[in-house]
Amino acid sequence: MKYRMFAFVLGAVALAATAFAQTAQLPAPSPIEKALAARASHVTEVTLDKNTLAFASKVMNGKDKDEAATRQLIDGLEGIYVREYEFDKEDQFSADEIEQLRKYFETSEWSTLVRERDRKGRESTDVMVKLVKGETHGFFILEVEPKELTIVLILGPIRMDDLGKLKGISGLDALGGVEFKTKTPDKKGGNQ
Amino acid sequence: MDDFEQQLRQVFARRPAPPGLKRRLMENRRSQQSRIHTIPWQRLAAVVVLSAVLSGAAAWHKREEQRKGEAARQQVFIALSITNHALNQMNSQLAAHGRAQK
Repeated sequence: MKYRMFAFVLGAVALAATAFAQTAQLPAPSPIEKALAARASHVTEVTLDKNTLAFASKVMNGKDKDEAATRQLIDGLEGIYVREYEFDKEDQFSADEIEQLRKYFETSEWSTLVRERDRKGRESTDVMVKLVKGETHGFFILEVEPKELTIVLILGPIRMDDLGKLKGISGLDALGGVEFKTKTPDKKGGNQ
Repeated sequence: MDDFEQQLRQVFARRPAPPGLKRRLMENRRSQQSRIHTIPWQRLAAVVVLSAVLSGAAAWHKREEQRKGEAARQQVFIALSITNHALNQMNSQLAAHGRAQK
């Protein structure tokens, strides 16, 4: 009986550890996000861990060219974390809050690809990639506009070939162009 | 010896069967026969019910996975669409920056 109990506890711990390991990849929402969400007029939050991405991949039709391309892209991913905050008025967030957000996501593993600031300091773009042995294993965008703030974090191996295939899908044309930007960051991100 | 014979006679003396014995025996036999016939039917019914429950659960599980998958699929496209929008904005900013530098 004692052995059974021990085995049960061990199994439960193993399951919990597996679940944690699967979700540990995606960060917990930053405390700033809660405050931003409270002030925003429209909030879009998407958090997809590996399991959820696997569910999505299962239902995607392999015969449909666009869905097949999307499926190919998401198959190896660890997670997708997207936040979009839209505000009715300008000045709903401070530069300090943006900096805190940036620091929350920016770790030593990430390399800056694009760092763009306008002169007034009201618009900015940060694009970072996580490189592992020369391959892209993560993609981060922090896009700030006077009335809009977007955070995109894609974790896992991102094959630029797969991203390029999304170019044909309506509304995803810019994703297909990422390949060019990552190869020649200096041309696009002049003030890195 | 006479005593022994006497005892044997008493033991083997013909006695009438108790009243209702035949009826009880027949009833007993009938109930046993009906029990033998009902057991396979009960088993069959149990198998049918069990398989119905199992196939129902499997169908529900499949439908639930399909529902979760559809929801996740929509979320993936929303996420990619927002990413696309952010990249477009970035391109616009970079283009504006380029123009300003010129």
